[in-house]
Amino acid sequence: MTTVLESIPETLGATQPWVENGGVFWLNYPNLNVREVARAMNALQARFVTITAYQLPKDEGLRLEYHWDLDGLLLGFSFQLAGNSIESIYDLSEAVDWIEREVHEGFAVDFIGREYEPLLLRQGDKLGMNMREEVK
Amino acid sequence: MSYKIPMGPYHPALEEPYKLDLICEGETVADAKLHIGFNFRGIEHLAETRNYIQVIALMERVCGICSNIHTLTLCQALEKLTGLTPPPRAQYIRVVMAELERLHSHVLWAGIAAKLMGFKTMFMTCFELREKVMDVLQAISGNRVNYSMNRIGGVNRDIEDPLALLGMIDALEREMVRTIIPIFTTSRTARSRCAGIGVLTREKAVSCGVVGPVARASGVGQDLRRAAPYAAYAEMDFEVPVQSDGDVRARLLVRALEIMESCKILRQSLTKMPSGELHSGDGKFNFITGTAFSRVEAPRGEVMYSVSWKEHSRNPSRVHVRTPTFANMPAIRYMVLGARLADTPLIQASIDPCYSCTDR
Repeated sequence: MTTVLESIPETLGATQPWVENGGVFWLNYPNLNVREVARAMNALQARFVTITAYQLPKDEGLRLEYHWDLDGLLLGFSFQLAGNSIESIYDLSEAVDWIEREVHEGFAVDFIGREYEPLLLRQGDKLGMNMREEVK
Repeated sequence: MSYKIPMGPYHPALEEPYKLDLICEGETVADAKLHIGFNFRGIEHLAETRNYIQVIALMERVCGICSNIHTLTLCQALEKLTGLTPPPRAQYIRVVMAELERLHSHVLWAGIAAKLMGFKTMFMTCFELREKVMDVLQAISGNRVNYSMNRIGGVNRDIEDPLALLGMIDALEREMVRTIIPIFTTSRTARSRCAGIGVLTREKAVSCGVVGPVARASGVGQDLRRAAPYAAYAEMDFEVPVQSDGDVRARLLVRALEIMESCKILRQSLTKMPSGELHSGDGKFNFITGTAFSRVEAPRGEVMYSVSWKEHSRNPSRVHVRTPTFANMPAIRYMVLGARLADTPLIQASIDPCYSCTDR
């Protein structure tokens, strides 16, 4: 397992090693590409777990954390969003379908390259329903 | 000619509201679309307005069946943020509660599956058994749904006489071996309603990322109690039942065998339970700034919490919950393809869906 884990940064072109924090192995590399990560995870038969969206303070935007399970190890890949969009990995992993739709509706994130059907939104609801509004 | 049959959001075959739009050609299902969110409660958002005591009570209400699992997962994440380690006795009590909850959830599901098959007597037998498990949960915690057993750093209540529970475990196991497993495995009615119905292949199970008994019934053998042990599971000896057929019968068999394994784990945890404290920290702790993650194997599969906290803050800044039904439900679409319309209630029930968790 250690060898498999060590091979992932090299596959993704990351220069930093894994960092274990909060029960997750993180690969903190600013130039990670979400689709390359998904391809690497698929090649290792890792299981997609979830995406957690964070609204950052003030106007710093959003951060998405993608989690994959590799034989019981929880792996984490963090992506700071430029604007409100990121490439979709739905065509690479159909397990992301519902969570991409939920994050789209809850945080108004546009997952580029896919179409959406409403998941939680009802007629008249607006995108970004889970975002905090600044107190004035 | 194809036509659309809407099932739900309020339908006799569904215990909670969700909608399945079935595109049928004659009696055969050609496609299906799922719709959720009819009772969406925004609990993740609400959690950001609750302090560390209130948030445990709130997350216990994510699910009406595995309420204990949600507080266990949350408390494990909060323990990483406070540096508290539950004492050994608390870890064993957590295992006992988690396995009792698995038992009552699986027996409840067996009853509902029997009812959908037209086996009303079996439904009553299962619910009578479940009642006995609920009695034990009530005897331990004083509650039948929300047990309030977990706290940061341990548990709130002791199991004063663990060995007294062994009689219930024996009776439950006897009833499973004598009645429920033989009927589910050998009865012609059960076989004809379940075998070869609602198949989810191993390939689809992997690509859909399904978890728990649904995955294990399709040949994907992951169980977090074994793969990433938590509480006192590393000290327990048990098997992870796996079937490869991927049909309703395989899901039924996996859960039946898991009941037997739960009895085995309960017997070990009750007889080996160490003495000692129930919690650490004396109620005094500080949160560090950061995000912590926790995963447990709920009756329906993996539950994951990520919890973010800022030092000196009263409330969490983010709580994200990934429930097993959220991962399993999209696979229903593939299970019902090519199925008879009359089988769809049983197929959708075979994932043991919890819409309460999904509409968290």
